[in-house]
Amino acid sequence: MRIIFQLVIAFLAFSALVSVARKKRENLLGPLGAFFWVVFWLALVSIVSAPMIAQWFADMIGIGRGVDLVMYVSIAVLFFVVFKLHIKIEGLKRDVTVVVRNQALQSEEKGRTSS
Amino acid sequence: MNYMVRAIVPAYNESERITGVVRSLRGVVDEVVVIDDGSTDDTAIRARAAGAIVLVHSVNMGQGAALETGHEYVRRTGGGIVVHFDGDGQFQVEDITRALNVLGDSGSDIVLGSRFLGPSAHIPLIKRRVIHPLARWVNYIFTRVVLTDAHNGFRVLGPRALAEIRFTQNGMAHATEIIEHIREKGLRYVEIPVVVRYHEYGQKFRGGLTVIKDLIVGKFMK
Repeated sequence: MRIIFQLVIAFLAFSALVSVARKKRENLLGPLGAFFWVVFWLALVSIVSAPMIAQWFADMIGIGRGVDLVMYVSIAVLFFVVFKLHIKIEGLKRDVTVVVRNQALQSEEKGRTSS
Repeated sequence: MNYMVRAIVPAYNESERITGVVRSLRGVVDEVVVIDDGSTDDTAIRARAAGAIVLVHSVNMGQGAALETGHEYVRRTGGGIVVHFDGDGQFQVEDITRALNVLGDSGSDIVLGSRFLGPSAHIPLIKRRVIHPLARWVNYIFTRVVLTDAHNGFRVLGPRALAEIRFTQNGMAHATEIIEHIREKGLRYVEIPVVVRYHEYGQKFRGGLTVIKDLIVGKFMK
C-alpha cells in the first residue's frame, strides 16, 4: 500500500515539476517562485519516500512527531500562499481601478469637448 | 479665497435621493461632481438632469475609488476646494458653508466633520457605544492621530490637501488612509461638528473588519 502511495506522489511531483519548468520557460513564473515550487515538490517526494527525514527534522527542532512537523509547515505554507494571493488580488484591483477611472474621465472629457 | 468650490458626490444606486442632493448642493458650491460608481439604476441620468457633472465607473469600485476619480477630475480641470458629500443625503448642506468659513479662517488644509462634537448626534446606540470607539482605536493604531470621529465622510479639502492626498484604498479604508496622509504630509486639519441623518444603518461591524483587512493588505502594497 505504501509503495502505491509513494508512486502516486512521485508521479504528481514529477508532473508538477514539469509544469513549473514550462511556466518558468514561458515567463509565467519568476525565479523565486520557481525555486519555491521546486524545493516544495522535492521536499514532498523526499518525505514521502523516506518519512524518517521528517522525524529527523522534528527531533532537531523539538517537535514530537514527524507528521506534526509536516502539518505545521503545511499550515504555515498555506497561510503564506493565501496572503500572497490577497496581495496579488489587491494589485489587480488597483490596476482595474486605474482603467475604470481613466475610462470615466475620458468619456466625461469627450462629452465636454463635443458639446 | 477665490478658489472654485466643488462637491464630489460618490453615488451607488442612489436614484431616489440623488436629485435632491444635487439640487441642494448647487446653491452652495460652484460645481457638483457625481461619481456614479457602477450603479444599476438611473442614478447617472437623474444626477445629470439635476445639473451635476457626472463621471461613470463602468463597474462598482468602492467609495474610496469614486472619491479619487472626483479628485482627479478636479485636478485636471483647474483644482480648487473639494467637498466630500455622500450621495444618500445623510449630510446637511448647511455644514458646507460653515466648513468653508473654518477652512478660510483657520488657515488649515482640511476640515473634517465630526458627529461627536455637536449636541445633535443622531447615531444608533451600538454604533455610538461599540463600533465608533473601536474604529477610533483602530484608526489610532494605523495613523497615530486622535480624532473624535474616525470615519466621517464629510470633509472639505483645500488646494494643498487636494494636491497631496491620493487614495489608493478603493473601499471604506480610504477614511483611515486620509488621516495617514494628513500625518505624513504634515497637513493642518480642523474638526467641526456636523449633523448626520442616517437613512440606513451605514457601515456595519463586518464592514469594519473589511477595513482592517484592507489596511493590513495595503501596508504590503506600498
